[in-house]
Amino acid sequence: MKVSIIGLEISVILLGIALLLVDLWVPARYRKGLGYLAVLGLGVILVSSFSMNASEAHYAFGGMYVLDQLALFFKRFFLLTAIIVLLISIEFSGRIRTGLTEYFSLMLFGLAGMMFAASSHHFALLFVSAELITVTFYVLVSFQRREIPSLEAGVKYLVLSALSSGLLVYGIALVFGAAQTLDFQALSEKAGQLGNDPLFLVGMFFVVAGLGFKIAAFPFHVWAPDVYQGAPIPTTAFLAVGSKAAGFALLMRLFFSAVPDFVVQWDLLLLILAAVTILYGNLCALPQQNLKRLLSYSSIAHAGYLLMGIAALSQSGSSAVLYYLAGYLFAVLAAFAVVTVVSNQVGAEDIASLAGLNRRGPLLAAAMTLAMVSLTGIPPLAGFFGKFLLLKAVLEQGAATTAHTGYYWLAGAAIVGVVISIYYYFGIIRTIFWSKDPEDLSPIPVSLPLRATLCVCLFGMLYLGIFPDYPLDMATEAVRALTF
Amino acid sequence: MTGILPWVILFVPLLAALSITLLTLRHRALSAGLSIGAICVSFVGSLLIWISFDGGSVQYSTPWLSVGGLHVDLGLLLDSLSVTMLLVVTGVGALIHIYSYGYMAEDPGMPRYFAGLSFFTFSMLGVVLSNNFVQLFIFWELVGVSSYLLIGFWYDRPTAADAGKKAFLTNRLGDFGFLLGIILVWTTIGSLNFGEIEATMRANPEIFGSLASIAGLLVFCGALGKSAQFPLHVWLPDAMEGPTPVSALIHAATMVAAGIYMLSRVFFLFNETALLVIAWIGGVTALLAAVIAIQQDDIKRILAYSTLSQLGYMVMAVGVMDPTAGMYHLTTHASFKALLFLGAGAVIHAMHHEQNIWKMGGLRRAMPVTYWMFLIATLAICGVPPFSGFFSKESILAAALEHNAILFGVGAGVAALTAFYMFRLVYAVFIGPPKSNAAEYAHEVPGVMKWPQVLLGVPSLLAGFWGIEHFIGQSFASASAHHAAAWHWQILSPFSHAPLAAFFGLGLIGFGIAAAYAFYGNAVRDPLPDEMGRLSTAIRERLYLDEAYTAMIRYSHEVLALIADWIDRWVISGMLVRGSQWGTDLAGRLLRMAQTGNVQTYALFLVVAVVVVLWFVLKR
Repeated sequence: MKVSIIGLEISVILLGIALLLVDLWVPARYRKGLGYLAVLGLGVILVSSFSMNASEAHYAFGGMYVLDQLALFFKRFFLLTAIIVLLISIEFSGRIRTGLTEYFSLMLFGLAGMMFAASSHHFALLFVSAELITVTFYVLVSFQRREIPSLEAGVKYLVLSALSSGLLVYGIALVFGAAQTLDFQALSEKAGQLGNDPLFLVGMFFVVAGLGFKIAAFPFHVWAPDVYQGAPIPTTAFLAVGSKAAGFALLMRLFFSAVPDFVVQWDLLLLILAAVTILYGNLCALPQQNLKRLLSYSSIAHAGYLLMGIAALSQSGSSAVLYYLAGYLFAVLAAFAVVTVVSNQVGAEDIASLAGLNRRGPLLAAAMTLAMVSLTGIPPLAGFFGKFLLLKAVLEQGAATTAHTGYYWLAGAAIVGVVISIYYYFGIIRTIFWSKDPEDLSPIPVSLPLRATLCVCLFGMLYLGIFPDYPLDMATEAVRALTF
Repeated sequence: MTGILPWVILFVPLLAALSITLLTLRHRALSAGLSIGAICVSFVGSLLIWISFDGGSVQYSTPWLSVGGLHVDLGLLLDSLSVTMLLVVTGVGALIHIYSYGYMAEDPGMPRYFAGLSFFTFSMLGVVLSNNFVQLFIFWELVGVSSYLLIGFWYDRPTAADAGKKAFLTNRLGDFGFLLGIILVWTTIGSLNFGEIEATMRANPEIFGSLASIAGLLVFCGALGKSAQFPLHVWLPDAMEGPTPVSALIHAATMVAAGIYMLSRVFFLFNETALLVIAWIGGVTALLAAVIAIQQDDIKRILAYSTLSQLGYMVMAVGVMDPTAGMYHLTTHASFKALLFLGAGAVIHAMHHEQNIWKMGGLRRAMPVTYWMFLIATLAICGVPPFSGFFSKESILAAALEHNAILFGVGAGVAALTAFYMFRLVYAVFIGPPKSNAAEYAHEVPGVMKWPQVLLGVPSLLAGFWGIEHFIGQSFASASAHHAAAWHWQILSPFSHAPLAAFFGLGLIGFGIAAAYAFYGNAVRDPLPDEMGRLSTAIRERLYLDEAYTAMIRYSHEVLALIADWIDRWVISGMLVRGSQWGTDLAGRLLRMAQTGNVQTYALFLVVAVVVVLWFVLKR
């Protein structure tokens, strides 16, 4: 085994440890600089990832770890997410009283967990990487430990997450009992015959429930609104993008690498979960006033859209998931960056605090508006093309399926969900541009790094929406590692 | 070189319009210079093309868009038709641009005016040069837009703004039919290129089957609106609210002629039935407008109705299967009608924006150049030999006599009416006694407004000897009858070619002029209302056509609006929008209840959910 195969993860962990060590010699007022150091380090790692060749799969740890195009796609995705989230954290750092460096390095450890998740090819690594992510988030969620909402969110996350981890590990045990193996390669050869074994069914379902908790899909979403609302904003952003995407990476590996012959019999289950998640997330987002809570329900709805691509059980569905995740990353992180800046200035996180933003900070208003438009799925932004690909995959599968018409119902539910979502996304835009007589019209200063971050997000949304060819090729190339 | 020249001619005015709008809106002289320079470049380019033109037909095109079975080129077509129009549009246009610099000298919006003028020139050249229906239609609409902008140039006057709207909406009405016609042609023939359509129709004349007349008439709808033919003629007199040079360029010389140009361009599309309808509509428009013109008092409105009447002649010429004569009349009309408008503009300018002819008079002495040029143009429009209008009008009358004696009678009658109302105007404004103080103290206009009139006087006087008819005839294979001849023979050719038409027409013109002298030779006010009573009132009120349209629109509009309002209020807004919004909102609020904030409830929910879904999984 060559060490270079897990080089990216090792670099990230070493960077995290280095931060902790350097912190010992750095005076408190320079700690923000360590955040920039981390961003720089991750930038270097991201760039170096492009020199890696994964056109054929490399294995490590006796086949537990795989490095292929899919893994590499997700690793880059997580690295980019972490870079932007770190930049948001630096902006947020004024509100973290102690342990800023620990906050940064915990993010790096969580990132390492996500990157391992992207490569798991064995139930053991699946569980370990999922736990690495979860455990770091226990701390990250409750990091503002002098503030009650943050602590409350931390407790809720801890309790409910423990429950889901219990389900996950129990499920893995049952699967091992039925299949006598935890290796995805070996499992894929047996999965076809295990379709009627109740032990295996229950085990698989518990694993799916555990991962469903990560992606916040109905009915495993209960934790999300409270935790998203209470956690520090950068943590929420990291949860909404990184943790959710890690859940999808694990889910795609599990379904299309470990049990592709088995999962076809679950199409109806996945369809129903996707449709209910979309409708539930969008409906619950309607009456929300808190921006973080609204974004949490919206992220539940987006988990539903992404599940559409999984439920399509096809190559085009999975590549659409990757494409959609990329668009989702830019839009959600732009929104959270704006929320961070505004709440720093205004001290509130509700929609009303955005009133008059077009005059207070035009770049912020533009970023927020385009993020909302992209999340709604209106051309020419990334969200539109992503939704288009997902719907296309679902409808193709619907045309190929004769047993039931569920795929068409799912497409219908998705469209209804989009229509509902216009109402609350454009409510935010209306507040920004057309609220009556906002009291405070003082300009909101935006630091240069955050300006750059917002511009990157805007560019990403527009690029993915207007020139979809190259990113789509990348996504298609990535899912070639999977079996359908 | 020759390949690039048409593109230059087309795009230089656009460039001028854009740079004025974007850069030089605050610099009056610079803006005017850009616009005038652009059209002069286009004119010189057109001259170069004309010099090297060999009578054939050339196309330059590049693929523009391709959607399914629809392939559209961005293409330019040069043949004798488009070259003639190029010369007319850029030549007359250049003189009017220069004249405008004097006329608009005191207007604060001059840069905007020149931007509009250049944009119009671009659009009009686009219409002239198009080699396919889609491109023609796009430029056709752009012409409509620029006309709208220029009619409503003084947008702070409600009448001007309303006139702009009226022109645009009336044109849209015709263009709707035009678009249907284009779609019909495309679905039947599968091509939009004029050359390909003509080739297909030549190979298979019956390709449209029973739809042949419909297709022709739908396409004709476009000309109906743009060339202001009855019953869509109502917008043109109102369009006189625009600045006078705009009326000269757009609503007399070029844009309104676009309809006739289009009809000649796609002449092969029309079958006998369609042509008969076209001829009658042209004849009716010519007569109606000439009748209304004899009782108007506003100098520009008289000229507007005379434009309508002359456009009716041209449409009639197409209808009686002689598009060459129609195009010929278009060309001569462009110069003498532009000259008439420039003269009217000079008079209005000298009279401090007074437009009522019964407050003018005696301007012959104060404004000799304007008077002589106006007289030349008047003789030309009346069709007195050897002025240009004589030749073109005679060839239309000759063609009418050949095909339809009644239409010939209408045409000849209109010629008499034309002579009557035009000399009524000349007597009232220039020759008769002054009828106001302003008229007594009027002065000749400055050189920048005088010389364009003189230059336009040349073609008004001489265009009959230049062989224009022969030149245009190259585009129509059937027009072999029109031979080029030595100039001194050309003056006699109408008499030898169709002596009856020529002598009959001339007699009636003489009668018209004599009648005008009898009534108006020395009049200080119009004697006709007393003589004709209610008939005169009806004519003054434009035969109540505008009122009829307004009433029709108002009542149909009211009923439609009531129905639409009811549907919108109760069905769409009430049931669909409010209902679904209320339902969704309620669902959101109810679901929100599930999120209690209590972690025990959450854990319970999670476990119950897992059990329920597990049951669903195991059940199957």
